[in-house]
Amino acid sequence: MATPQAPSQSPSARLQELLTTSQRIEELSDSEGFEDAMEPASAQAPPSFPKLQMFTSPLRDELVTDSSAIEAETLDDILPFLEDNPYDFELNSFGVPKLQRAQHVAFLRRALGNYPAQFAAMDAARPWLLYWSLQGLTCLGEDVSEYRERVTYTFSAAQHPMGGFGGGHGQLPHLAGSYAAVLSLVIVGGKEAYDMIDRKAMWHYLGNMKQPDGGFTMAPGGEEDVRGAFCAMVILTLLNLPLDLPPTSPAKIKGDETFLTKLPEWISRCQTFEGGIGAAPTNEAHGGYAFCALGCLALIGSPKEMLHKHLDVPALLSWLASRQTQPEGGFQGRTNKLVDGCYSHWVGGCWGIVEAAVQGSNDGVGARLWRREDLVRYILACCQGQKGGLRDKPGKHPDAYHTCYNLAGLSAAQHRYVYDYEKSTGAAAAPLSAAFNWTVADVVEEEGKIWDEDDTVNIIHPVFVVPWGQAEAVRKYFEEKA
Amino acid sequence: MTSYASDPAWADIEPLPQDDGGPHPLAAIAYKDEYSEAMSYLRAVMAKNEMSERVLGLTERIIGMNPAHYTVWLYRSRVLAALSYDLRTELAWLNPTALKHLKNYQIWHHRQTIVDALDSADGEQAFIAGMMEQDAKNYHVWSYRQWLVKRFALWDAGELEIVEAMLQHDVRNNSAWNHRYFLVFGRDDGVVVEQKTIDREIEYAKETIRKAPQNQAPWNYVRGVLRYAKLSPASLKEFAAGFAPVERPEDIKSSHALDLLAEIYAQEQGKSEEAVRVLDLLAEKYDPIRANYWNFRKSQLGSASAAA
Ligand SMILES: [Zn+2]
Repeated sequence: MATPQAPSQSPSARLQELLTTSQRIEELSDSEGFEDAMEPASAQAPPSFPKLQMFTSPLRDELVTDSSAIEAETLDDILPFLEDNPYDFELNSFGVPKLQRAQHVAFLRRALGNYPAQFAAMDAARPWLLYWSLQGLTCLGEDVSEYRERVTYTFSAAQHPMGGFGGGHGQLPHLAGSYAAVLSLVIVGGKEAYDMIDRKAMWHYLGNMKQPDGGFTMAPGGEEDVRGAFCAMVILTLLNLPLDLPPTSPAKIKGDETFLTKLPEWISRCQTFEGGIGAAPTNEAHGGYAFCALGCLALIGSPKEMLHKHLDVPALLSWLASRQTQPEGGFQGRTNKLVDGCYSHWVGGCWGIVEAAVQGSNDGVGARLWRREDLVRYILACCQGQKGGLRDKPGKHPDAYHTCYNLAGLSAAQHRYVYDYEKSTGAAAAPLSAAFNWTVADVVEEEGKIWDEDDTVNIIHPVFVVPWGQAEAVRKYFEEKA
Repeated sequence: MTSYASDPAWADIEPLPQDDGGPHPLAAIAYKDEYSEAMSYLRAVMAKNEMSERVLGLTERIIGMNPAHYTVWLYRSRVLAALSYDLRTELAWLNPTALKHLKNYQIWHHRQTIVDALDSADGEQAFIAGMMEQDAKNYHVWSYRQWLVKRFALWDAGELEIVEAMLQHDVRNNSAWNHRYFLVFGRDDGVVVEQKTIDREIEYAKETIRKAPQNQAPWNYVRGVLRYAKLSPASLKEFAAGFAPVERPEDIKSSHALDLLAEIYAQEQGKSEEAVRVLDLLAEKYDPIRANYWNFRKSQLGSASAAA
């Protein structure tokens, strides 16, 4: 999915396509013949996490169609990883493969390095490579401050004189690139990184993306979808930019006043008859766009206020719950599509926001709405590549995109985000301060904890998807500067 | 390939080499000389805002090397508009490129810009049909198709028939279901949805459910239709119970039928025990991965916001 870049969209798809050439040969030769070479995982697994906990539905239709055929094929690829331990990873105390931390760190550090010529297709997506790698590294507990200077000058070349960031020098500004660039700079942090952003030009650029119907386009003359809205609002919030539209904005010219004008209403129109949220009004409900939409609402106000006001929450809950696949335990992005590790974040990340919106209803804080343990098992057992990096599913190759979002999904499962409604002071609160009221709670055994201390990744901000504390730091920096 | 540097037609351009910002940029790509050079010329002509035939040639060459480069596409669009270039020629060039790079969304956005300017949808439905034969769930193609229907008011131009054929082929294609909903209930041309249309759609969903009751797509669809028509889900009680005979759990055929039954009971006066029973069946046997969600639904019984 795409994130701000929706999963089915270019950078991820491109990266997936690209990372294959060099790595395919290696991977294939490694995975062949594993069945007989390896001792079954169950022999080592302590009885506390027996295989029979793998849920299968007793219901299966006989009618075979393209969708069910590919689903069955995919399950054949995945099952060995759920039932066994084909790569012979060391198991944790619950009988699940341990997080291969060192290998993932090495993989992501390589992803920040140099690429050969056949990676030219990533030319426009370099800000993403930086963001995915830096975010993934910090999630694994790595200190990335050593990259601060290089991140700063790499993006100085990609910043457009008219505001915003493109993929690189001379490229047109794009909201996806701008989002990835700002988040990368926020992750490495520090005055030099913050101050290299031309905030005034950025404000103008974002104003030019705001459309009279309430939404945002990704680029001048580019497509309008909910990624645009999310990326723009994240940037406005982090950089503490004025909410008023600049005079050149097409929306301003039509009479709209602020970046928020008609925005929640536009997002509301993206909710479909299924209860999920699509890229734009009437588009099919999709996990990647759902996260962007919920994130956007959670930037404007508290989850409870915004979701209940602008969405059909029971329908959303029903759709979201349906995305967890059985027996795999991971998430699919759309109805009747395949499980994919990147939705660990796109769908997994929706849960924190939705839980915060229903928190306290009848059964109190911390209602269990989904199965954290099944997602964690899918990530650890099925998505860890044999030589580091995480992937869509067995049979696919790890890449920086799936590594970042599997780890973010792991974090969403391993920590419980709670919204501090006491802290939010309604209308008196500063504009776009709603996303700064989150706290974190531990997930306990009864909530499905099947990971040990050393399988645990760091907490990340549930809306900004950057390390805990970094969003607050940049916002504070620009508030004090104002 | 001849280089631009030795081409007299480009002698007036001073190429603008890539600035990497510093000595060791991150995620740097070791471009082929041919690509680097073409990009240097593109940066130079963009800086001058040059709109010319030769720039079209340059963008074509870069797209050939890297079709995922949104800047090149966006700039190409501007040049096409500035030159009043023949857009039919542009489409003809675009077709094989689109087929080769199915998942590339820049190509679809570019196509939308061109077809919009052409002010004609001629051939587009057939082209999309060809693309969908290769990937029936491609998000960009479906979005483009919706745009096309709206832009050219193709509501009654065979779209429903196409969707029906696609669903006939794969009743699980949720993208096709979404398009069907869009065609029937998303019209923006003032045509009112009549009762007989609503009945027809409910009947169609039911018929499809009978072919594969565990397929969630038509269940979602029919619930969407009911919500649109402000009809109570109770009108489907008997139908749902047919796939979920609670008295004979071994004959249950669909967790989605159970889900709907639970919703119906939750809204019925004095039926919360039945609702609990159905939700327990889901949590314990028929859909255990969502046990937490089903239990949450139980906890909501009796509260006003319970209807899911
Ligand atoms: Zn993916």
